[in-house]
Amino acid sequence: MLQRYLDPSVLAGISGLDLVAKTVVDGFIAGLHRSPDFGFSQEFAEYRAYTPGDDLRHVDWNVYARTEKAFLKRYRGETNSQLTILLDASRSMKFTSHKIEKLDYAKFLAASLAYLANTQRDAAGLIVFDDEVRNYVRASSRQGQLARLLHAINSATVGTRTNFEHPFLTLQEFLRRRGVVCAISDFWEEPEKIVQTVQPLRYRGNELILFHVLDPEEIHPKLRGPVLLEDLETGEAMEVSPDYAHHEYRQKMDAHIEDLKTRSKAAGIDYFLIDTSRPLDAALREYLAIRKGKM
Amino acid sequence: MGFLAPWFLAGIAAVGLPIWIHLLKKHRSDPRLFPSLMLFEKHEQSSVKHRRLDYILLFALRAAMLILLALLFANPFIRRAIPLSQQKHLTVVAVDNSFSMRADDRLQHAKDEALKVLSNLKPGDQVQVVALGSQVQALTQPTTDIAEARAAVASIQPSDGRASFGELSRYTRTLSESVKLPIELHLASDFQKSAMPPGFADLRLAPGTTLAAHQVGQAAPNWTVESVVAPRRVYDPKKVRIQAVVAGFGTPAAKRTVSLMLNGKVLGTKTMDVGENGRAQAEFLGLDAPYGFSRGEVRIDSADTLPADDHFIFAVERIDPRKVLFVDDGRRPRAELYYKAALDASPDAAFQLESLRPEQAANVKLSNYAVVVLSDLASMPAGFEDSLTRYVSGGGAVLVALGPGSVAMPRVPVLGEPIQASSYAGREGERFLSVSEVDTGHPVMRSTNRFDGVKFYQVIRVTPSKSTVLAKLDDGTPLVLERQIGEGKVLAFASTFDNSANDLPLHAAWVPFVQQSAAYLSGGGAEQPVNLTVDSYVELRSADSKGAAAEVLGPDGTRLLSLEEAASAKNFAVRKEGFFELKTASSRSSLIAVHADRRESDLSVMPPETLDLWKATGGDESETGASSTGDQQDKKPAGLWPWLLLVLLGVAVAESVVANRYLRPPAEEARSKRKEAA
Repeated sequence: MLQRYLDPSVLAGISGLDLVAKTVVDGFIAGLHRSPDFGFSQEFAEYRAYTPGDDLRHVDWNVYARTEKAFLKRYRGETNSQLTILLDASRSMKFTSHKIEKLDYAKFLAASLAYLANTQRDAAGLIVFDDEVRNYVRASSRQGQLARLLHAINSATVGTRTNFEHPFLTLQEFLRRRGVVCAISDFWEEPEKIVQTVQPLRYRGNELILFHVLDPEEIHPKLRGPVLLEDLETGEAMEVSPDYAHHEYRQKMDAHIEDLKTRSKAAGIDYFLIDTSRPLDAALREYLAIRKGKM
Repeated sequence: MGFLAPWFLAGIAAVGLPIWIHLLKKHRSDPRLFPSLMLFEKHEQSSVKHRRLDYILLFALRAAMLILLALLFANPFIRRAIPLSQQKHLTVVAVDNSFSMRADDRLQHAKDEALKVLSNLKPGDQVQVVALGSQVQALTQPTTDIAEARAAVASIQPSDGRASFGELSRYTRTLSESVKLPIELHLASDFQKSAMPPGFADLRLAPGTTLAAHQVGQAAPNWTVESVVAPRRVYDPKKVRIQAVVAGFGTPAAKRTVSLMLNGKVLGTKTMDVGENGRAQAEFLGLDAPYGFSRGEVRIDSADTLPADDHFIFAVERIDPRKVLFVDDGRRPRAELYYKAALDASPDAAFQLESLRPEQAANVKLSNYAVVVLSDLASMPAGFEDSLTRYVSGGGAVLVALGPGSVAMPRVPVLGEPIQASSYAGREGERFLSVSEVDTGHPVMRSTNRFDGVKFYQVIRVTPSKSTVLAKLDDGTPLVLERQIGEGKVLAFASTFDNSANDLPLHAAWVPFVQQSAAYLSGGGAEQPVNLTVDSYVELRSADSKGAAAEVLGPDGTRLLSLEEAASAKNFAVRKEGFFELKTASSRSSLIAVHADRRESDLSVMPPETLDLWKATGGDESETGASSTGDQQDKKPAGLWPWLLLVLLGVAVAESVVANRYLRPPAEEARSKRKEAA
């Protein structure tokens, strides 16, 4: 019942992005059986063996006194995660075949993630990019961070074409702490190149999630006759027959998705395909599952 | 192949619509934005081209639909040859029995040809037999009874009429419209050139009518008595002049003997030279005819193939000259002189003038006179006008000449119109009156040359109320008036008959005026001719005649009118040669001589090319050979619309299938849609 509030077409009717994020997250959380308030309780979660480099402040010295072994004590409410949202604002994100554009959907998703992180006292940051970094909000958990994030997300507009290399190189400079990096994009690039570009982030101990946002028309185009298709980013035009779109293109699209998914897994990157006609809860669930694994 | 409605072919231009949809519209389609063409490859254009080929098939089907639709409305047809022997048709057997078919045994040959045609018919074939004389006479209705048709052919007798091929064509056109069948016309005739109508268009046969010509006889030289000029009445036998014209058609120069016969008795014979294809005129003076009607004949010796036209009959009537009573009070002696001289100038000497004073005339029996002339009487004896009125009412005629003496009377005697005054004009200078208006169609005024140059110095003004004015002077004064009283007539002349009040007796118009007025008044109107050609009409009664029965006795003495016709028929057509005794409703008897039209005597034959043209009028494909009936074919227009409709339906189904294949959403999408809907 509550899931209908997560419907993108319903969310599109809500004016404020903060309200959208609140509606999504609260509605989503209310539907869970167990409260995922990881960061607010002081309930013991687990012990973990000390490894060089861990913060000595988290060592349970009582255990060390008894066992002479150093263990780190972790609680559910403890958060040391930093969420960085990479929002693709290239021109291809403007496409839509129904009521909501891919960019809007990506904004809802980014806002929801930011809201969720804020409620968990996680530091959250944002990078809006196309072929350049268009906007950057440093990750923080300070008061007012959510407002800054939402404002940045809200003000993101479509730019030019996508170029992953430059924004991700920039991101590597900004990311000082390990955390979760959520890249929200339609990933119109060769899967190999995408993975090669984002993989360095993974080497630094970051958890990387690729939210592959696609319009249903992109996955299964419906053409009633031969049409002249124009690339939103390059402006290139090509005449396409329905027959090709119904058969060869779908095969290529499925192969493209599968390739990106396979390469991501191989690189330890989480990949999640999002259809903009479907509710947002699946994407949030994915984020929380990963967030839980980080504790 | 043809089109019944070729203008609908303009609808083929609608083919431009699918061309626009499939070609022009495709090229002008707006590009559709797509996030990335990364997964589309250039070499996939071949797939698009393949699709274009498929669309061209759709285009071709749609264009074919439009073309077929336009063709359907244009209603195309082809002419399909159907042997006449296989198609239902009506055979019309026409036998020419006109006057020229009396030559040799042409009629018998024509009947034999007709019987041959009938013998070639199959059981169930419809046939009609007609005889072609002066009119087309249907001897049978369209029937399948061949025996009846044979009997009809056998019953055909020679006639004296003149054949008309135009009349035959008109009959077949009418028949074609009524029976709604193709007509196979077999004409057994001598195909006389003179039987052609004046305009070739009159020969036009109805579409689908074929003409098979069965020629009997050939062109042959023929002499004939072409015409005879004879008076209808003989008053003085010694003054009669008979003129006969002998003509030769296709004849060499020869001597011909011409005989004049009266009541079977030869009165005179003459030999004359007739030139090649020429004419010669014979003249006989004197005709010793007995009183009453006589049957005259001019005969030649010719020994040609058509002896029936070697004589020419005419009718004459021998009567005494009719008496004209000239009543004059002695004041104008020259009036009688001029009037008598004019009457006696007639070559027929048909009138005998008797002059009396008014008091004497009042005591005579007026019915003995054909006409009574009152010449400027100053007064009428007691009872004379009454007896004149009774005489006119009983069929008599009075001619009144008004003058200075008549002014004393209040009214014109017998005529009854009031006399106003006398109108004088001086004799000097231009002070005279002339005639301005003349009814030249009236028998009395016909040859008077409109009284041209006649000067009237004194006329009596009469106000016409019941009379008809036949001539007027230039001041509007009526000059000649006529009034019908009972069975008779009264004619009034508003001036004198001497040269004192006018100079008419000194002009050439005087004699015809006197003679025509006397003939008109004595004859009771225009008499119909007594020498007629076959198929002429004679008048039995005028429009207002009632009561008395008319009677017509044929050449063989038989009565030709039924009781009903005798009581009511106004006209009677004479259909054969010979003498007809006629008694009209007004009890006037006459003998009428009827002879065949002499154009039938010209036995020259219609040119073959003309005959071919006539045959060709029956339709585009009526190239039928003469008397060849076995392998004749007629090409009938067969509509193609049922076949076009079938093809159109097939194309429409194919178009639906092809279009559905192209435009239908893929099945898997439809399935996913259903799933989503569920």
